[in-house]
Amino acid sequence: MSAPPEFPIPKREPGEWQPKILGILCNWCSYAGADLAGGGRIQYPPDVRVIRVMCTGRIDALFVLKAFADGADGVLVSGCHFGDCHYLAGNFKGAKRMFMVKRLMKSIGLDDRRFRMTFVSASEGAKWGAVITDVVKTINELGPSPIKEFNK
Amino acid sequence: MSESKFKFAFYLGCIAPNRYPGCESASIKAMKKLGVELVPLKGASCCPAPGAFGSIDLNVFYAMAARNLVLAEQMKMDIALLCNGCYKSIWEVNHKLKHNKDLRDGVNEVLKEIDMEYKGTINVYHTAELLYNDKFIGVEKVRASVTNPLTGARIAVHYGCHLTKPHKDREFEKDVMLNTEHPVWMEELVAALGATPVEYRNKMQCCGAGGGVRGYDIVHALDIANEKLINLKEVGVDALTDICPFCQLQFDRGQIEIKEKFGVSYDLPVLHYAELLGLAQGMSPQDLGLDLHGISCESFLQKVL
Amino acid sequence: MMAEKKKTTTKKTDAKKEAPAKQVAKKQASPAATQQKPSIGVFICHCGTNIAGSMDITAVQEYAKTIPNVGYVDNYKYMCSMPGQAVINKAIKDNKLTGVVVAACSPRLHEPTFRTATKEGGLNPFRFEMANIREQNSWVHMHDQDGATEKAKDAIRIAVAKAALLQDLFPKAVPVEHAAMVVGAGVAGMQAALDLANAGIKTYLVESMPTIGGRMSQLDKTFPTLDCSQCILTPKMVDVGRASNIELMTYSEVDSVEGYIGNFDVTIRKKARGVLSMADAETKGIVGGGCNGCGDCEAPCPVIKPNEFEVGMKPRKAIYICHPQVVPLLYTIDWDSCIKCGLCVTACGEKKAIELEAKDEFVTVKVGTAILATGFDIFPIEKKEEWGYKRFENVITSLEFERLICASGPTSGHLVRPSDGETPKKVGFILCAGSRDNTGIGKPYCSRFCCMYSLKHAHQIIEKIPGCLPIIFYMDIRSFGKMYEEFYYRIQDEGARFIRGRVANILEDPKTKNLHVYADDTLLNRPIDMEVDLVVLAAAVQPKEDTNRTRKLFGVSCSMDGWLLEAHPKLNPCGTTTAGVFLAGVCQGPKDIPDTVASAEGAASAASIPIHMGEVELEPYFAMCIEERCAGCGMCVSLCPYSALALVEKDGRTVMEVTEAKCKGCGTCGGFCPGGAIWMNHFATPQIVAQIDAFLLGGEQ
Repeated sequence: MSAPPEFPIPKREPGEWQPKILGILCNWCSYAGADLAGGGRIQYPPDVRVIRVMCTGRIDALFVLKAFADGADGVLVSGCHFGDCHYLAGNFKGAKRMFMVKRLMKSIGLDDRRFRMTFVSASEGAKWGAVITDVVKTINELGPSPIKEFNK
Repeated sequence: MSESKFKFAFYLGCIAPNRYPGCESASIKAMKKLGVELVPLKGASCCPAPGAFGSIDLNVFYAMAARNLVLAEQMKMDIALLCNGCYKSIWEVNHKLKHNKDLRDGVNEVLKEIDMEYKGTINVYHTAELLYNDKFIGVEKVRASVTNPLTGARIAVHYGCHLTKPHKDREFEKDVMLNTEHPVWMEELVAALGATPVEYRNKMQCCGAGGGVRGYDIVHALDIANEKLINLKEVGVDALTDICPFCQLQFDRGQIEIKEKFGVSYDLPVLHYAELLGLAQGMSPQDLGLDLHGISCESFLQKVL
Repeated sequence: MMAEKKKTTTKKTDAKKEAPAKQVAKKQASPAATQQKPSIGVFICHCGTNIAGSMDITAVQEYAKTIPNVGYVDNYKYMCSMPGQAVINKAIKDNKLTGVVVAACSPRLHEPTFRTATKEGGLNPFRFEMANIREQNSWVHMHDQDGATEKAKDAIRIAVAKAALLQDLFPKAVPVEHAAMVVGAGVAGMQAALDLANAGIKTYLVESMPTIGGRMSQLDKTFPTLDCSQCILTPKMVDVGRASNIELMTYSEVDSVEGYIGNFDVTIRKKARGVLSMADAETKGIVGGGCNGCGDCEAPCPVIKPNEFEVGMKPRKAIYICHPQVVPLLYTIDWDSCIKCGLCVTACGEKKAIELEAKDEFVTVKVGTAILATGFDIFPIEKKEEWGYKRFENVITSLEFERLICASGPTSGHLVRPSDGETPKKVGFILCAGSRDNTGIGKPYCSRFCCMYSLKHAHQIIEKIPGCLPIIFYMDIRSFGKMYEEFYYRIQDEGARFIRGRVANILEDPKTKNLHVYADDTLLNRPIDMEVDLVVLAAAVQPKEDTNRTRKLFGVSCSMDGWLLEAHPKLNPCGTTTAGVFLAGVCQGPKDIPDTVASAEGAASAASIPIHMGEVELEPYFAMCIEERCAGCGMCVSLCPYSALALVEKDGRTVMEVTEAKCKGCGTCGGFCPGGAIWMNHFATPQIVAQIDAFLLGGEQ
């Protein structure tokens, strides 16, 4: 059994808000890095649900916006480091789109800290744990997404 | 020469004003010539001595150092100091308090009792750093300010320990100063005065005084200093220069104690770089208080004057 | 603007149930499966206690039953086992399932296993989706049962939503070129090339130095057998030179790589040697000419430079060979040193082998698979200033020691001190110099073979210089291999001295140039100052400088420690995540010679499989253009890193078309198309949106 984690484990009472965070990971680097974190039993909070794509270049800006429109409290996109993309330069193009999403969020009044793009390679399991812990901490501090209120 | 572009609160420490006051007067006068004004820092206490206080009670250590820092913050000036030991207390505590909220809160709890608060608004520099860094003075300006070059003098450098070590806890704008194994930047400053810098075996070894060793176990401390003196004798130098009054005390008074305890004499003059700089800029040995040194500086002065 | 965006999304959702008509027509094998109501089977694996220990499987299973479109739910202790797969097989048939979801480990591990099970149950293997509830759930949330269970429920719901929309896909088979390439001709590259050639595969062996042989030719003896390195290597070098199936390209580098497994187009830069081989000379019409290695050109050359092969300790001319046993036996001109005086041309005479105006040539070859065997360099140990390398004359590295003690080296095998040429009486060996170093200056990893070669060096000193004492300053002695521990006993018995402690500092005696080694003797619990005549640093190793450039050409990643990244450290140590590219030798991580040769044989075997099969299946994740929606704007064309997209005329309209063989399925075009006109197989927009909606809108509230 690994050491108890350094982040608080919340009491999950019904009715209490738990963050809903969507993670979109590229298959070759970040998904592999997340698997490596699992192999190394690195512990992190469970609030991120992962969807796998082949490359962050696949990610349409609309996916991120749909997630927020559906009521996501946070979105995390993670891919290969620049220069290491399995498909040569998909991560550059994906990153460009994600920057645009950030700008859009600012202009519609949605806190852009809810959306993050990180770069985690297949050998960076420990880093993955740190990334998720930090993302969950940030979303916990930001509270539930205001869009949920609109949807009600 | 130029007007004082830079002003610093001058932190003196204990040994320089009490034992080698020449360091203080030389620093103030020489730096003024080089465009740096050193303003007295009123009310300063012991830094506190890192080996003596830091080994006994860290809370006292942080609080006393923070108090000295707050005095400068109140003057709205960065601190300049001329002692490696003081550098460890004052620079390192400043750095730690700036980056560690819990430590800062703890220290401010104590300082509240004397109506003081550490805010982390100033920086700390060693005068040797100010002399070497082109942003403030730089080797060329030092060279240009020399009126009485120390030609023909063979001078070895003792870097001391606390200025550059531990490496991972130090930051300097000039990377060359981060070299802890084999730095040569002080030799450049010595050469700028017209003297000949001389390398010697194991020059980076400690003088033996710090860490409370001189106070606690004088024999071992002297043994360490003696090793360095043997290595210096091997290459034959006219003087040893340092950038720390405590190292200076250890070598200067230390030679007298070594003669008593081990029966060996070296008669090697020991001068702080500030004193050398003062000499090179034409200050008299009287103004520099060189007659107050334990080991007579006559032989060295005969060579350079 | 936001409103418009929403419109497009809803449009996509409407169309989500049916793939565009054209594609369906192209791909249909079993029409029934696509069009009927989806019925997904969910299979939850316990993985022993790996999953069951961190979450409530019963709760997850009960929840799964409530998910829309789920037709069957079951669980099993080990889904990947034969009986586990039989469960899937039976369930598909009994319940007429249209798709399968397995909630277990990572798809990167068992997706192929369960796709096969799905296929055997009668469905198209791509109607399978995996929910990762182990690597990304049970193993990382071991202290949060509730959190893990909720996450597993969500993961299954997400997977079911995608599975309901998956379509039949058919992997494309592409022919594999019956040729391979090996980059690097050290012992790893040479062994891999020989194995491939002997298996009947034409192999291009590309080496950037003027000769093959690599590091092994620089060694004197090899541990633990004390074989002479060059003696056991030369026969292999000659075999490589003679093998009809090996096209040896020395003094050449890979310039660019295009294509994919089975069809790599590699452009090689043949650097200008300035010297013609006999074959080259013949093509140029010079009868009986070309370089025969006679060396007549060397004597008159006026330029002297340090010989890199001898680590700079022996001179060579501007026209040179690295050492007498080079393969191929051809001289090379170092253009940085050559002054073009032409004296060598005169000396060469009738053979006319020298071409002072030679230029680099480029040649492109097609290969099916490639192996990288780019080897290593020594870490620049002068960065660890405390040991004084390059400041003190008598501090040398282990590679310099090898050359000095080697009979064909600069001193004909006499170990001498660089400062005065005297024979040393006491030699200090510093192990782990720059390795196992967490200060940020050296390397954090262990360089693996330094302990063993230092023992070997100690032996060589005892043997060659009677009365000379080797002193080994070590942290550990890692004698891990076959007969290695026995070799360690032998060196201890022969009289080498061992001091366990790190060396803090080395200082030089300015008169004698002897060295004082300051270390901690941790076994006797005291610090020591040992005066020695010569210090040998067992320096760390790192990937060869050019490796970073070469690996990017082939699409290979680096591990955290800088060595090339293997596909899986245990299950696939010779492969990489790029299909068709393999790794051999030290470029994947430090290895001794036996392990290097073994990895080369492994890589050669793996690289030969696609070639011998003649064709390889590509995963059918490629893009397709939904022509009704394509506006022909062409913005996607420039996004594709493989130039797989082009605009064509069809029925009077300009639309985009995908060259399926070139498309690797990255989805960069699909993520961009503003009209939603690109369908990414298996990662289509409606499928991804369904996953997003299932997570955020579905579920218990």
